[in-house]
This record gives sequence, C-alpha cells and structure tokens, in this order.
Amino acid sequence: MLLKIEDLCAKAGDKEIIKNFNLTVNEGEVHAIMGPNGAGKSTLSYVLTGKPGYEVTSGHIWFKGKDLLKMSVEERAREGLFLIMQYPVEIPGVPVTSFLKHAVNANRQYHGEPELDTMEFIKLLREEAKKLGIDPEMLKRPVNVGFSGGEKKRLEALQMTVLKPSLAILDEADSGLDIDAVKVVSKGVNELMNENRALLIITHYQKLLTYIQPHFVHIFADGHIVKSGDKSLSEEIEQNGYSAYTREKL
Amino acid sequence: MSDLLPIIPLFGDDIPWLAGRRAQGRESFCLPTAKTEAWKYTKLHTLQRDDFVYAPSKFLQEFEGECEEEHCSCCGEHHSDCTCGDHCQCSHKPNLYIDLPFDAYQIHFNNGKFMPLYPALSLGVEVMTLMQAVVEGQAKNYIGKYIDLQKHPFAALNSAMLEEGLFINIDNNIKLSKPLVFIYHSNISQPLVSNICNVFVAGKNSSLEIVEYYYHSGNEKDFYFNNIVNEFYLAQQAEIKHYKFQNESFKSAHIALNYVRAREGAFYKSFCLQKGADLARNETKIELMQENAGAQVDSAYIMNGWATIDTTTDIDHLSPKTTSNQLIKGVVGDEARGVFQGKISIAKDAQETEGYQMHKALLLSDTAEIDAKPELEIFADNVKCSHGSASGELDQDQLFYMRSRGIGENEAKQILIDAYLLEVINHIDNEQIKEWMRSHV
Repeated sequence: MLLKIEDLCAKAGDKEIIKNFNLTVNEGEVHAIMGPNGAGKSTLSYVLTGKPGYEVTSGHIWFKGKDLLKMSVEERAREGLFLIMQYPVEIPGVPVTSFLKHAVNANRQYHGEPELDTMEFIKLLREEAKKLGIDPEMLKRPVNVGFSGGEKKRLEALQMTVLKPSLAILDEADSGLDIDAVKVVSKGVNELMNENRALLIITHYQKLLTYIQPHFVHIFADGHIVKSGDKSLSEEIEQNGYSAYTREKL
Repeated sequence: MSDLLPIIPLFGDDIPWLAGRRAQGRESFCLPTAKTEAWKYTKLHTLQRDDFVYAPSKFLQEFEGECEEEHCSCCGEHHSDCTCGDHCQCSHKPNLYIDLPFDAYQIHFNNGKFMPLYPALSLGVEVMTLMQAVVEGQAKNYIGKYIDLQKHPFAALNSAMLEEGLFINIDNNIKLSKPLVFIYHSNISQPLVSNICNVFVAGKNSSLEIVEYYYHSGNEKDFYFNNIVNEFYLAQQAEIKHYKFQNESFKSAHIALNYVRAREGAFYKSFCLQKGADLARNETKIELMQENAGAQVDSAYIMNGWATIDTTTDIDHLSPKTTSNQLIKGVVGDEARGVFQGKISIAKDAQETEGYQMHKALLLSDTAEIDAKPELEIFADNVKCSHGSASGELDQDQLFYMRSRGIGENEAKQILIDAYLLEVINHIDNEQIKEWMRSHV
C-alpha cells in the first residue's frame, strides 16, 4: 500500500474543505478524482504536499507506511511525492538547470546517494529533456519565467521524470484545461508509470482521462468521495454532470 | 567617541597646508546625533565608547630612527632588528598575499597600516604613499580639497588624522591590464580607529579597475573602526571601475566616503557588496562636472543579527548630457536595519541629463527594518529622471514550489536570495570579479 488517507478533515484558512475523506492507493494504480469546480480538489493536493495555509484538523495520511502529516514539505517530496502543479510558479533569476540540480541532489543526499556533479547532472538532464522534446535552450532560462502554458507543463513533466516519484499527483482541478499542455504531461506520466508507482489525477473534465487511463474513478463532492467506480463513472459524469452528487445545483 | 579628538603628532605637521587641512578636520568633526539629517536612520551607538585607540605616526618613528614598538608592526612578533615603517626588513613579514579567483595587482593594509610591498606596475601607473605625494607636491591639489567637511563628519575625522593611505596616478591614455586590489585585513582586538585616505588621479582617456576587499581573521567579536575616504579624479574620457566587498568582523564599524569628480566624457562605475560590520556606511558623492560625464553606482547588502548597513549616494549633475544610474538591492534578516539614502541633484544648466535610481530590499523577518529616503532635486527642465524604493518578503509560493521538489527550506531561501541579488551583481562587467562577488552572497 502506497497511500492511505483515513477520515481526513482539513481547512483552508478558516473554511473546512475536506470532510472525512478516505482513499487507498496501491502501487501500479491510477486513480482519478473528479468533482465540480470549487469542491476542494486542489485543497486535497495541497494537504498531501503540505502547503502552508492548509490545516489538517483530524484523520491520518500514511505514505509508504509512514505518517505523512509529520513530515515537512521537502521530506514528503524526498519520500517520493510529486505534485504536477496546475499553475507552476515563476522563479526569476534561477535557471532550470540549477534549480533541478539542487532538487536532484537534495533527494540523493536524503537517500544516502552521492551527489551528482554539474557535468553528470547536465548529461542526465539533457537525455530526459530530449525524450520529452524539450529544447536544451529552455534549460538555461529562469524557471517558468515567460514560459507558455505548454512549456510550463513540459517542465513539470521533466521534473517528474528526473525525480522519479513513487506517487505523482496531477492537479488539473480547474475547468480551464489546456489540452496541448495536458498531452505533454500525459506522455511523461504514462512513460513513468510502472508497477511500483502510482498516479492520482485531480480533474474536473473527463477529457483528461482520454490521455491517461485510470483504474479507478472517484467522485469528490462536499469534502469527500461520494461514489467510486471504474472508468465508466467518468463517462457518466461527462453525460450527466455532477448534479446528482451535489446538494447544490451547479 | 567624543567630539574632541586626541592630538597625535603626524608626519608633515610642519607643512602649512597639510596642518591646515588637519586642523580644519579637527574643528569640523562632530559626532552626528539623531537630529543630524544625513545620519538620522543610522544610529551610531556602536561608536559610543571612550576607549578608542589611534596608532601613532609610523613615519615619525622612522624618521626619528627609533623603534618604540616591542613588536614588529608587520607580523606582530617581537624581534630585535625591527626597523618597522616603510623599509621593514623583518624576516617575519607576514605572507599577506591572498589567493583571489582573478589576476590582480595586490596592495595590502594590515590593521589599517599600508604594508610596503609595491606591485610591479606597468609604465604610466604610479603608486606611492600619500605622505610621499605630499613631499613631492602632487597631493596638495587633491586631498580633501573638494569635500565639505561640515557635511561629512567622518571625512573630517579622516582629515584630522590624515597620514595613512596611497596616492595613485595613472597617466593619459594608459589602461591598466589587471585590477588593482586593495586588501584590508584586520585581526586586532583593540578598538583601533584606522583613518585611511586614498587618492586616485586618472589621466585623460585612461582606464583603471580597482577592487577593495575588507576582511577579518581572528575573533568574530573583535571591535575596530575603519574610516575610509577614497577620492577619485577623472580627467576627460577617463574610466574607473570600482568594486568593493566589505566583509569586516560582526562587531566592527566601517564608514567610507567615496568622492568622485568626473570631467568631460569620463565614467565612474562602481559596485559595492556590504556584508560585514555592526555599523557600516558606504557613501558615494559624485560630481559630474562636464558634459557627457557619467556614473553607474550599484550596491548589494546582505545582513542579519543587529547590524546596520547604510548605503548613501549623492550625485550632482552639474553639466548638460550627464548620466547616472543606480541599482541598490538588499537582504535584511533578524533585527538588522538596512538604510538607503539616495539623492540626485540636477543643476539649472544640466539639460538633457538622465538620472535613474532604484532601491529594492527583501525583508527576511518581522523584526528586520528598512529605511529608505530617495530624493530628487531638479532645476533643469529638459531631463529624464526617476527614482523608487520597494521592499518585500520572500515569495511563499516560490518557496513552496522549491520545497515540493525536495529542496530544503534554508537552501531554497538561499537560492532565492542569490537570485534576488543577481540582478545587481550582473551589472559587474568583469566576469571573474562577478563570480567572486556572487560566491560571497
């Protein structure tokens, strides 16, 4: 078992968003969490990654058998949790290569592996970038600064393939889905997936799931999962919408 | 420090004009108070003590042919044949040469004293002690002639004690191939006040790179006070690039005035990184005397603890078509205080002048403080000018993004600080010096 969320309740600021949420994810599985806009899907990804400003009021999260809530943001990442952000952050003055070298070496150090020197790292990065069709010039630019939507997603995918997480969370919670960008990320995710890794997709639209096939689909409403099923559940949502699962009409 | 300075016999007290400048300095010196406008943000409590030590004149000792010191002034060790002063034959002469990641001519000061090891400079560049320049008659037209001592109390102190320092002359059309590095090393545990004045005279169409490096070895808590005046005289089309890295001990005081006087088409470009000292001020006063003279004054400061670091600039555009540009960026943590005072004055006749100034600071804690006072004083009507000051905190979203990739919180902060200061460090033309400065952020 990779991830087990038990009776989780969490607040964003003063507002209770996650209410008695339960979910188990095993290695090799792809789970999709679907829900209407504003249901708190992104909150779930932030609670998992430990973003400041989100407070867990009760419940547990077990990641690889360890208590995730006791770990710092960076420890969670080093243990193998990776969030593909919907809106990646721009970091002026920090080139992609230098940023990723810090990240890779921090992870290696945590696992007792020797750090990579600049030459070794650049070689590795260029190989991975090539696979994703990333122009080496992009690696010299400051992280996400002036990147198009597609370039930002390419960089997210590159980070994931370089860091090789056990659990990737793909947050595409908002309705404004950039299909080209999603295709790029899906390619990266599909290549990375194997029997030791798992993927959690958070989305509003069924469309994303045509690029990444989920084993399980969960409907998220009113702070928790109201129905679970297989891929056919997402098709039902595509036809009928979320109204059957929410107390409020959309 | 009291307003009444001790009387220390110095070399050249019998030379009327020199004695006059010292007397003027003594009379003008008055420790600024909270009411002194130019010092109102920079508290001088570090200097509120009465045990300051002034070194005796090294020249007078030498000329009297006696060595009163039990310990060699070079190496600090006792030995019988010490002759001290300029011609020290001491076998214990410390190896002051330091490895720098750039090729340079090195000049050394140890605890405020010039160490007479002259670099082998190319023809057309002359380095001599200030007192030698006094004897030879070159210094009179420069030293302190244009500095208003009423407005610059620490330059007044420097004038009152005027003796130590160098006179550098670079002839017309000479371009020095390597930077001239002034290395100021301190390792003294006494509250020593070192007054050093250097004069740089750059001939027409000459070019010179100067680096000042202030560092300390020994106890981090050592208190000493380096009070520096640098005067730069740029003839037509001359260019001086002046880099400074101030990394004094955490308890020390460092006050410097850089006075620049630029003639037609001359350009003064500076970058100063301030990181050390409990009280530090780097002040730059520039007079753009003739058409097309220009200046670029950039600074970075990074500080924590209880330190105060002050960056003050005052640029006078006195002629048409003069230009100035300033970018100052700071990072302030703990209970430290960053001070920026920047003034651009444009005279009535200085039409078609451009003057720009920007100060930005990053506050790392709730108790850190920034005081900024940008000022524009414009009397001409056809000019382009702007100024601004902004302060903020580290971006929490950026921090989270980096940490979510496994980068530790402190490392992430350091990367962001490095990136923040890079904007100004990138203004340094000399790639090796740029890397050197960057490695110290």
